[in-house]
Order: sequence, then C-alpha cells, then structure tokens
Amino acid sequence: MPPWDNFEPFIVSGLALGGVYALSGVGLVVLYRATGVLYLAFGAVGALGALVAWSLITRAGAPGWVGWLACIVVAAAVTFGYGLLFGPALAKRDPLVKAVATIGLTLILYGAMDLLWTTSGGQARSLTLPTDNGGFTVGTVQVTWTQVIALGAGVVLTVVTSAFLRYTKLGTAMRAMANDREITATLGVPVRRVEAAAWLGCGVLAGVAGLLLADLVALDATTLTFLVISSLAAVLVGQLRSIPVTFAAAILVGLLHDLLTPIVALTNYRDMTPFVIAVIALLVMSRHRVIVTSREEA
Amino acid sequence: MIEVENLTVRFGGVTSLDAMSLTFEQGTCGLIGPNGAGKTTFFNVLSGFVRPAGGSVRAFGVDLLSMAHFRRARWGLRRTFQTEQAIDELSVFDNVAMVHEHSRHPGSRRGDVLDAIAFAGLDADPEAGVRTLGAGQRRLVEVARAVVGRPRLVLLDEPAAGLPDEETRHLAEVIRRIPEHTGALAILVDHDMSLVSACCATTAVLDFGKLIASGPTAAVLRDDAVIRAYLGVA
Amino acid sequence: MSEPKGRGAAATLERANPVRLRRRPTRPQLVKWGITAVLVLFALFALPQLMSLYYVDTMTQVAVYSMVAVALGVLVGRVGLVSLGQVAVLAIGAWSAARLLFATTQPYPLILLEAGLITMVAGVLIGLPALRLRGLYLALITLMLAGGITVVLATVNFPNGGHGFLGYNGSLLHIPPIRRPSIAAGDPAYYRFSVIIAILMFALVLAHIKTKPGRAWAAIRQSEAAALAAGINTTLYKLWAFALASFITGVAGGVLAGAIHYLYSINFPAQDSITLLAVVLMGGVYNLWGAGVAALLYQFLPSLLNNWGVSADWLVILFGVGVLQVLTTAPAGLVDQVPRDLARLRHRLSRRRGKRAPHD
Repeated sequence: MPPWDNFEPFIVSGLALGGVYALSGVGLVVLYRATGVLYLAFGAVGALGALVAWSLITRAGAPGWVGWLACIVVAAAVTFGYGLLFGPALAKRDPLVKAVATIGLTLILYGAMDLLWTTSGGQARSLTLPTDNGGFTVGTVQVTWTQVIALGAGVVLTVVTSAFLRYTKLGTAMRAMANDREITATLGVPVRRVEAAAWLGCGVLAGVAGLLLADLVALDATTLTFLVISSLAAVLVGQLRSIPVTFAAAILVGLLHDLLTPIVALTNYRDMTPFVIAVIALLVMSRHRVIVTSREEA
Repeated sequence: MIEVENLTVRFGGVTSLDAMSLTFEQGTCGLIGPNGAGKTTFFNVLSGFVRPAGGSVRAFGVDLLSMAHFRRARWGLRRTFQTEQAIDELSVFDNVAMVHEHSRHPGSRRGDVLDAIAFAGLDADPEAGVRTLGAGQRRLVEVARAVVGRPRLVLLDEPAAGLPDEETRHLAEVIRRIPEHTGALAILVDHDMSLVSACCATTAVLDFGKLIASGPTAAVLRDDAVIRAYLGVA
Repeated sequence: MSEPKGRGAAATLERANPVRLRRRPTRPQLVKWGITAVLVLFALFALPQLMSLYYVDTMTQVAVYSMVAVALGVLVGRVGLVSLGQVAVLAIGAWSAARLLFATTQPYPLILLEAGLITMVAGVLIGLPALRLRGLYLALITLMLAGGITVVLATVNFPNGGHGFLGYNGSLLHIPPIRRPSIAAGDPAYYRFSVIIAILMFALVLAHIKTKPGRAWAAIRQSEAAALAAGINTTLYKLWAFALASFITGVAGGVLAGAIHYLYSINFPAQDSITLLAVVLMGGVYNLWGAGVAALLYQFLPSLLNNWGVSADWLVILFGVGVLQVLTTAPAGLVDQVPRDLARLRHRLSRRRGKRAPHD
C-alpha cells in the first residue's frame, strides 16, 4: 500500500471528477423526473460540443470563450432538438423504451464524430482551459482552478436544483409530472413547456460537463461518450429519484476511481468502479423490493 | 373465511388503508366504495404487491401476508385485473393452463382446463389465439384462469368494465356461481351496483381506507352512510 | 369410440377436439419449415462455393453474431429485458473457450459447452441483483459491464498458451493461434461448423419458446403483476432467460475464438454492445429470422463497405437512425412490431391468392 502522500493529489482530482459526475448525474435525474427519459446520450452530446469547441479554437483560431460557448450551445441544441422531435412520440412508453431510444441518438452522434474527427490519424487532441494554469496549494498538493470549478459546479448545481425543485413553481411542476404526467396536465401545468425547460437545462449541463471532462480527462469521442457511465452509476444509487444521494454517489465514484490509481494491484481495474458500486447498490436495493402496480413506479 | 385485522397501508404521505378490519364469511362478497377508498390497494395487499405498514390477513386460517407473492397463487389465490391480462400470443387453452402448470395440482391438467373454460361459458375453440377473441370473451378467459384448479380466494377487480349489458349479465351469473363450483370465496370489486346486487349476497363498503358498512347487499346499498360516501355531504 | 353426450359447453369442446389438443401442422407452417430447410442447406453447402474466402470468413462471423443476436432477441423480444453489454458477455465466453482450448485437449464441442456454462454462471451473477428490480437497472448494469470490461481485458489479456489461471504469457515471441476442431480446420469447413452450432443454438431457443418457459415469458412481458398473480416466479424465469442468453453468447464466444485465432481486448469495445442492440432491434426482436438479419447488418454490411472503401461510421449512424425508427413506429413496446407486420403481410398475400383472409 503506497504512503498517504501518494494519495493526496488523487483526492483532489477525484473530487473534481466527482463534481462533474454530480453535475451530470443531477442533470440526468432532473430530466428523468420531468420526462421519464434516462438520457444515455448525455456523454455523446458533451463530446460533440467539446470537439466543436476544439475545432473552433485550434482550427479556426477562435477565442477560447467562443469555443466554450459553442460547446454548450451545440450540446443544448442537440438535446433540445431530440426532446422536441422524439419526446412526444415516445411520451407514453415505458422508461426502458425511452432510454433505448437515446441509444439511437448516441449511435448517430458517435458515428458522426468518428467521421468528422477521426482518430485514425494517431494524433491525440486536447482541450485546455485557462483555469488549468492558476490555482493554489493545499499541503503538498496543487489544486487548479479548473478542479475547483468542477467540484464547485457540482455542489452548486445540486444545492440550486434541490431548492429549485422544492420552492419554485416550475420545480414543483416537474416533481408533480414525475408522479403522473396526465394528471399534472389536467391541473393546468404547461407540461410541454416544463419538459422543454428540462431538456434545455440538461443539454446545457451536458455541454458544461463535456467541456470539463475534455479538460480533466481526455478529448476523445469514445472516452467522453462512455464516461456517462460513471454518472449513471450515481444515478442508479440515487434510484433515479434522490438528488442528494446522486450527488454523494457521484463524488464517491470519482474519488474511488482516482484513489485506486496509486495502488498498483488495482490500478488497471479502476474503470470497473462504476460497475462495482452499482452492483453493491443493487444488492442493497433488492432486499426490499415490492412491486407497486400504480404508475408511480416507472 | 377471510379475517382482516387493522390493515394499514401508507404511500408517502397518503394513508390508503387506515387500520381496516373486516371479515369475509363465504360465497361471493362485494367490496365497494368511492374512488380512492382503498379497494384496489386492498387487493394489492392480498396479492402481495404492496406491503402494509401494519395489520394482518388470515385466509382460511393461513397467514397470507407471510407468503411470497407468487406462492399465494399456488396456495389458491386468484385475481383478475382492471386492465385485460389475457395473453394475446397464446391460445385460450395455454392461457388457462398456465395458471395450472405453475401450481402443483393432482388430477388431469387438460380436464381441469377444459372444465374451467366450460364453466366460464366460453364457447371458443380452446386452441384459438386469444388475440382473435372479442373483449367479452377475453374477460371470460380471465375468469377461467381465476377458477381453474383449486382456487381458495378469487379476487375480481372490475371484471365487467367496458362490457355491454348482455355480456355483463352472463358474467354476473358466472361470478355468482364461483363459490358453489369451486368451494372458493370470491370478492368482487366494482362500481356497477346492479352487478354487485346480482352476484353478491353480502357487501362491504370502504371509504377513505376505512370500513363504513357491511352486511347483506340490499341493506348495505340503502344505508345512509354509504349513500353519503358516494354522493358527498350536501 | 363413443362420443360425449350432452349439449353443454364442455361436451361441445370435447367433441371438437376428441383426442389431441395439438393440431397437426397447418399448411403455412409446413411451407415455413420447408423454406427454412432449403435456406439452411443452401447456407451450408452452396454458399461457400459461391463466395471468395474473404466473404466466407465474413459469413462465419455472421454465424457467430447471429447466435449473440438470437440470445439478445430472446431477452428483449420475449421477456422484455434489455442488455446493453452482450458483447462483454461474448468476450467472457471467448476468454473461457480460449483458456480451455490451450489448457486441455478436449474436443471442440465439449469446450464450447463448457465455455457456455461458465458464461452462463457469470451472466447470472451479473444479472441477478438487477433482475429483481426495474428493467432500467439491468440495462444500466450491463452498460457498465460493457464499459469496464475492455479495460479489464486489456490488463488480464486473452489466454495465449501461458500457465496459471489467466493463461497469459506476456513474454511469448510467437503466440500460438487458438486451435480449431480437427475436422473443421480450413475456413470453409469452419464456416460450416459455425453454421451447425448456430442452428443448434436456434433450436435450443425454439425449444424454450414453445414450452413452459416461453409461456411464462409471454406472461411476464404482458404484465409482471398478472404473471405473479398466476403463480409464476417471475424472478426465476427472468433469470432463466438471462442464463439462456448468456449460455448461447458464451458458446458463440467459443466459436469466435476458433474463427479469428487471436483475441484482443479491442475486439470487444463498449460501443459494439450498443450497436448490437441496435441491429437486433432493426432485425426484429420477436421473430428468430430477425437474428439472422441483425447479424448480416452487423457483420456483412461492414465487410461489404470495407471492400468498397466506405467508412463503417456511416453504418453506425444508420443503426442509430434505425433504432429511433423502430421504437417510434412500433405500436407497443419493443416487441409487437414484427408479428403485426407479418400478419398484415400474410393478409395481403392470401387476399392476392383470392382466398378469404383469416380473421386476425
């Protein structure tokens, strides 16, 4: 077992990663609660946005902020477009069907990204943010502003979203819709508008997450598309319902993943962290399972 | 005899069944009440889909709630649902035989299945696919599934929903005879009072998760408290 | 034989079906069997003669992936369970087969059986926690498996004749190829071998569908609550389906090992699992022929495009569009589209012949 000092930098990077996973996880849960769609394409749209940003910055020479804004806009536009086109068509279907449909979107984006930003040239691309350069030191560890932003964004979003869902009209509408879409519609809630807001918000988060992960991890379509799996583990632990639990689980996934890095025997297996955490969560959950035949249980 | 004692069910902040106590003696018993009174929740507790917060159910001396849900069917619990559950892609025979093949029954399966189909008054070819049948006949397939083998407790949840009068009358006759044909106790939940009157000797009434009346059907339907529950207080 | 007397319904039923309730096969069914037999014979004997070795190899892959597709089809189309990690399960099967092939001198079919059983156990262990909960959770856990296994395989490596549990010797200069059965060493012969194994797996699936598990699955798909109310132990039958799917996929992995001789973790990337689900959905999850269509989409089309110098990425995009199309036009769930389409086709064909269309 390596000395404690070796772990310290990974605590920081793990927290930063966990922050982005929390950002993604909370976005996924809110969208699920509002629309019943588990947006598996979340990673793919973030990847698309990041690659567009890269092209603008390194190929077209655009200033950084233009690239980052483009990333968020692209991710939000694709997400919103998908929700607009396919939301109504699949609205009454089982959540499993809706989730599998987003796999369709994932494949379309994945194929397009490989066509447009092929990796067979061998060159790796990278995206850096100016906040990578500044930072401060905690003990012996360097902390960059990017990492602070990553963790901070996750925390802030979790708090804001919890408050939003509880105290605002739109948020309460979303909670009502998670329970029963049709009844909520008859109460006069503008269901379509609430859903549109949820899709847009989720798309924006996908862009932000894509940008941060492209910086913190790698700018690679496959990596970024499938990094959503870590957020999905957190979402699963939160049972697609609880924002605080999703947040905690996301931090755990990020931390555990990075903390395994200096442990030689386990370091190559750390990509199984989401899987292991999810299995443990499922084992715990399946102890108390009862079928509820009302529509609350999606 | 089915003895329900202090059954309580809560969903989040809503108390669906409120320390309900009730006894079903024998024959076909009606269970009525306004929407949201807890009737379907009660059935879901009996089926094992909902775990109550408290209380007990003893069916013919057996503690029903301690059995796993799929084992209750083997014990003899049968149920029909508000939405149709006959399986389209299988034949009538297979639909009914399925209930039989997942329990241990002495005696010939074929004989039991044909007997149940005949009892339900279903005159379709047993090998016919269920998807070729009309709505009324599909309901009869479900009734056949409910009576095949040796049922002990048959739960019928709005079995005549959406059926025209003629078929409802036929269904009523079949339901009324379930106890004498099978020896089981049947509980019928429905909103159609004429159906309840036709089939059930005794009826219990729920409102807001509590029992508000029970006894001979005719008397219960005239009871003031029951009428108030349905119409609301003026 | 005296006829049952009386005019009651039971007597009527007995008269209509005096001895056996199983009908003799109808003419459309016989025609279907006939066509199937002809196609199988064609695939086995005529096809290798008509194609170059490149395409014979491709068709071997089609045979392999048709097994994986039928396994996934059973899960999705018959039970309503979605696995987003079936290629990861294939990797487990391939790994097990390779290990056994190097470590023992058992005959190939026995090794396939063992690889299938090992994969079945692994699949059941992975799926069991999720199977008692929502379908969405099974989809997620299998996706996570798909995401993690490539990296594990890159570390653990595929067996290459080395010793120890993992059977991997990192310092080998000449890696031995994974062996094939002695009677099916050449490519066309191995192609026939894989077709025969595929037929056996399809037969195994049919045997399940037509009997008790198939009926239980139909009930579970219709409504899990109603299935439980009928006495069906839904967890057991879902587990059975998952075990069957894992077994078949494991056997397919064994056939794959012999087909390509050398296995690497990049043969089993995460995106392949979701692409596989896409083609299975496009091919049709209910009808067993759909598995063949899926395998052709998955292996034959890319091979063709590769030959023509077109990027396979276009196919990935096509499959994504295909998923969306299938799901938005299917009337209910993932399953019903094909039976309804076939019924409509049958209706139109019989009308053209001038016969009365059956009431469907």
